[in-house]
Amino acid sequence: MTSTATGDHTDVPERVPSGCPVIHLDASPPLEVGSHWHKANELREASPTFFNTHAQGYWVFTRYDEVREMYQHPEIFSSESITPWEPEPAYRFVPTQIDPPEHAKFRQLLSRWFSPNAVNRITPEAHELARRLVTDLAARGECDFVADFAMRLPTEVFLTIIGVPHADADLFVPWVEDFFAGFGGDLEQQQAMVDALGGIRQYWVDVLEARRGEATPRENDFASYLLHSTIDGEPVGDDLILDILTVLVLAGLDTTRGQLGYLFRHLAENPADRRRLIAEPELIPSAVEESLRLYTIIFGDGRKVAQDTDFHGCPLRKGDMVYGLVSGANRDPRMYDLPDEFVLDRKANNHLGFAGGPHRCLGSHLARRVMQVAVEEWLRVIPDFEVATDQPLMERGGGAMMTLLSLPLRWEVPA
Amino acid sequence: MKLTVHADKCRGHGLCYSIAPGLLEDDDDEGYVSIRGQVIDVPLDQVDAIRNAAASCPEGAIELIED
Repeated sequence: MTSTATGDHTDVPERVPSGCPVIHLDASPPLEVGSHWHKANELREASPTFFNTHAQGYWVFTRYDEVREMYQHPEIFSSESITPWEPEPAYRFVPTQIDPPEHAKFRQLLSRWFSPNAVNRITPEAHELARRLVTDLAARGECDFVADFAMRLPTEVFLTIIGVPHADADLFVPWVEDFFAGFGGDLEQQQAMVDALGGIRQYWVDVLEARRGEATPRENDFASYLLHSTIDGEPVGDDLILDILTVLVLAGLDTTRGQLGYLFRHLAENPADRRRLIAEPELIPSAVEESLRLYTIIFGDGRKVAQDTDFHGCPLRKGDMVYGLVSGANRDPRMYDLPDEFVLDRKANNHLGFAGGPHRCLGSHLARRVMQVAVEEWLRVIPDFEVATDQPLMERGGGAMMTLLSLPLRWEVPA
Repeated sequence: MKLTVHADKCRGHGLCYSIAPGLLEDDDDEGYVSIRGQVIDVPLDQVDAIRNAAASCPEGAIELIED
């Protein structure tokens, strides 16, 4: 994972103190599953802070307390850029990259669409969508879980909650795939990323056109609601609406897919946990939380330093980039007993898998519910299944969200 | 035992009211816990759930006040 010196690396600035080790880490290449968490563990136990010479260079925080502190202090750690290797990104995610106090206005606009109440409203439909997907797969006796289920279900449920046809998942799945190929730092995929963004944007342009000029907002229709919304007494405006819709698609679809892949790999490899969840379905929420902690898909999260600060011995300067190693924090033995084990009924699970502070994942309530529904409906129809390959499973690099590139599963089909 | 949820720290993760639905609930709009900023009594039969809820808060927003 540590790459050799190339043009992608910078020199070590003189102000990096002697107590802060220097690494040369590019986390973007795909690796065998588990490699990123292993790397995070190794870094966390070696030092709470590092300076990484990757790209223009950035600070890395590896432990729970420091990562949480980063999240909880947006006045020091701005979200203007969240990718530490790209301090001046070409895109602007709203509200992801907006800092307080402006940020709260956007969150107020969006929260209720992804609140527990909103999620409860569409849960029956989520069950139906999941049941249909599982039933279609069951007779086949095998599938690629990632392509056939994990990419479909979150997309269909997300489109349902915002009020567009769930069948449009056929369009969104490849766009999201292409976007994240480039977002993770693969410089050869930048054009595919730009094209995918264009496709997504045009979809929403058409959705807005179809709703423009209507006297009242359509019921349970997010795009229509945004057209009728105001911020500081002004209409939100098309550009901003398009930014918001785009980031929700990107943030919402790829992440849940990634998390589902790791959770179902765990279930495929651990029959005792499957049986326990079938016998005690009330433990499904806790199993989902544990998968978010142990199989964190966020290798790390970036922020941009907004004011000169001494942070745990690191002399941060305004404009520096930092990287909080969320996957290190979530397995920090200073916080968790048995940090590298899947404890199905774990208590005190305060993982940072949905970030923390003002940018706590807007879709966290929805993501949890989609995963809970997926486990419940899948185990009902396919209680026993296994990983159908002897080859090592590969995961996309940690530059974007980690995700299994493929998860072949097989099961016996009753005669 | 009493508990308080610090309003400036609560970010609406929603774990507390999922873990301790016997005592805590969400506001019905944005998903924050409804008792933000208040101090409330914890009935004896809720103590275990509340201890878990407090320790599960990613923000450390829940403070327990032992009698």
